[in-house]
Amino acid sequence: MLKPKQMSRLLIAASKDQMAPVVAELYRHHLFHIEEYVEGAAECYEGFKLGTPLSGANEASEDLLKIRAIENAVSVQADDLDSAAACSKSELRAKIEQGLPALEREVEELTGNRSKLDNKVKEYEQKIAEITPFTAVPADLETYRGYAGLSVYAGYVVRQPAIPVPSEMHFSPGKEKNFLVAFVRSSQRNEVERALQDAGFQSVPIPDETGTPADRIAYYSGQIATLTQEIAEINRKLDAVKQQHASFIVACEELLKAEVEKSEAPLRFATTKQTFVAEGWAPSDKVAEISESLVRVTGGKVYVSTLPTDPDHDSVPVEYNNPKFAQPAQMLMDVYSRPKYTEIDPTLMLAIVFPIFFGLILGDVGYGLILLVMWFFLKKMIKGEDGQMFMTVFRNACISSIIFGVLFNEFLGFELTEFVGWLCGFGGFPNIIHGYAGLMPSRHLLIGVTEEGAHGPAIPALMMIAIWIGILHITLGRVLGMYNHAKQDHGDHRIKAVMANFGWLAVMWGILVAIWSNVAMPLMPDLTGLPAAAMGFNLGTFIGALLILAGVIFIARDSVLEVIELPTIISHVLSYARLVAVGLSSVAIAMVTNYMSIGMFINPGMKELSLVGIVMILVGLVVFLLGHALNTALGILGGGLHSIRLHYVEFFTKFYKGGGKKYVPFGMKRRFTEE
Amino acid sequence: MADVVMTEEMIKASQVGLKAVGAGLAVGLTGVGTGVAEMGIGAAAVGAIAENKDFFGLGLLFTVIPETIVIFGLVVGLLLLF
Repeated sequence: MLKPKQMSRLLIAASKDQMAPVVAELYRHHLFHIEEYVEGAAECYEGFKLGTPLSGANEASEDLLKIRAIENAVSVQADDLDSAAACSKSELRAKIEQGLPALEREVEELTGNRSKLDNKVKEYEQKIAEITPFTAVPADLETYRGYAGLSVYAGYVVRQPAIPVPSEMHFSPGKEKNFLVAFVRSSQRNEVERALQDAGFQSVPIPDETGTPADRIAYYSGQIATLTQEIAEINRKLDAVKQQHASFIVACEELLKAEVEKSEAPLRFATTKQTFVAEGWAPSDKVAEISESLVRVTGGKVYVSTLPTDPDHDSVPVEYNNPKFAQPAQMLMDVYSRPKYTEIDPTLMLAIVFPIFFGLILGDVGYGLILLVMWFFLKKMIKGEDGQMFMTVFRNACISSIIFGVLFNEFLGFELTEFVGWLCGFGGFPNIIHGYAGLMPSRHLLIGVTEEGAHGPAIPALMMIAIWIGILHITLGRVLGMYNHAKQDHGDHRIKAVMANFGWLAVMWGILVAIWSNVAMPLMPDLTGLPAAAMGFNLGTFIGALLILAGVIFIARDSVLEVIELPTIISHVLSYARLVAVGLSSVAIAMVTNYMSIGMFINPGMKELSLVGIVMILVGLVVFLLGHALNTALGILGGGLHSIRLHYVEFFTKFYKGGGKKYVPFGMKRRFTEE
Repeated sequence: MADVVMTEEMIKASQVGLKAVGAGLAVGLTGVGTGVAEMGIGAAAVGAIAENKDFFGLGLLFTVIPETIVIFGLVVGLLLLF
């Protein structure tokens, strides 16, 4: 928690004949992050070279290529399938030997035929395009060819040309281009060509066909229709292949991928003629397990040892170490940057605070329920680990939105109590939440309210809550910053960096104390009553000023340039006002939608149920649905983006660097095969 | 031109109205300013992220720097209204 998993650097050395069992064992454990051996690097072992692949690498790669080609052809992806009942390796091996060549032939034949047919369709379409201009001319296509003394011109012209010699010409004006066919004596071609050139003549090839153009087009269209049917038939067959063999194909891919990865692992090891050395990282609590099993499979002919690590200079791979409920938030962390090995991993805080921010922004029982229903259906459609993690984050946010909806007393822009009261009146149930008015300050705006003395939203109180959240969040960030600097930095700089972080805190709280001492605000301590000290200012003002001064000095001692960043203290705290502002805008849109649909269409329509009245009710319903659909989309965007942004920009900048190397253990999560 | 006689209520009402106009201008104009400023940064950041995804965090950070302006606008607007 709050720290990445502790890693140990392992060195595995053995003679080369033990390479295959060692690699297989490491692959099975799926824990060893291989540090690639770089030949010629500063830290390389003298006399060691990169290894060569194990035997069988070529065959496996070839088979893998075939499988991937089939996967492409029938468009199967492992991510689209649920993890299926695993079948054993030997079973699958046998199946590959028998079934794969036949399957490959079948798919190849089908795709080959399909591309042939596709080409034919293209060819026919081209022919239709060639014939189409000639449909305007009342002549059969064979009449354009086979003359000894006549030349035929066909093409587009800008305007009708004046041909100065005896000729047979057909001019068909079109919207954009005019089509022209002309028959002239071959001996007079020069004059004709000049005249045509003046008219902007663009030649068109004469199609090699017989019969009327319309007939030919109909013929080719018919051909294309049959071909498309055949293509559809082939696609159906490919689909059938996909239905039948999908699980086999993905299992094959997984098995072969594992084999290829295993046999290519020596490419990352350092080897001599007789021995090899593999270096890498493994979680410290698993080291004993790994070395024991390596010793077991090699019969003791292996040397495994833990090397000393230097977290500042070694690039230690980083694996999260979070409780289960916080793990989905790792996805949001990876979007920003993986933590460094030495710094605090804020995933846990993100996992807790992100849904709270989302709920504060989109606190509405109605929208929360709509999103929860959306989550329920999307969850099944979205495959893949990242997608599932995202969906879990989304679900938590939805639940938080419902909880805050109850606290804010909001339901699709109505008051929740009002809505429940209406429902109870409608169904004749007792109203159990009678008299409840929300535990948080009201966000209800005065939209469509005409009576005197109605209460608007409690914006000052809401703002103060948001500011408090900002102050506390940023204070937490700075405290973590102090901790990180104390852990990471060394020597003189360490003290300075820690003090600078303290300085930022001092300036922030100093400004707060100074403000409190001069202005009384709701939900904030009131220090205006402190005894006056000098110049009309009270004691608090001077304490605040002192804190600010001390803070600035601490900051400047670390880096003078940082002092110009001081205004960000105010802007970052005030940035949390978006929690209220975005939320209010969402409430406003919901209320306006309700006012427009119910107040302006449905209620007047209900008054008299004539044809006009019913149309008005329908229009009102459409407005209602469209408005709330829009607001739901805006709610996801606003709630999600602004919450995560407050973390990335306001919170993380105080302490978080990121840029850690991802922990990629050698091996794979088996989904379709067994060991 | 006929003299326009304003009663005290009218003056008060127009004061409230002008405050609202001022608040609207504060938020609206700062919003435009922020938008204009973020336009260039955002375009460049998206380009950089397309080249290298690791730039996302830093790119986002740079993109939202001008948002300070609209936040100050919002504060001014709220100060005017309350």
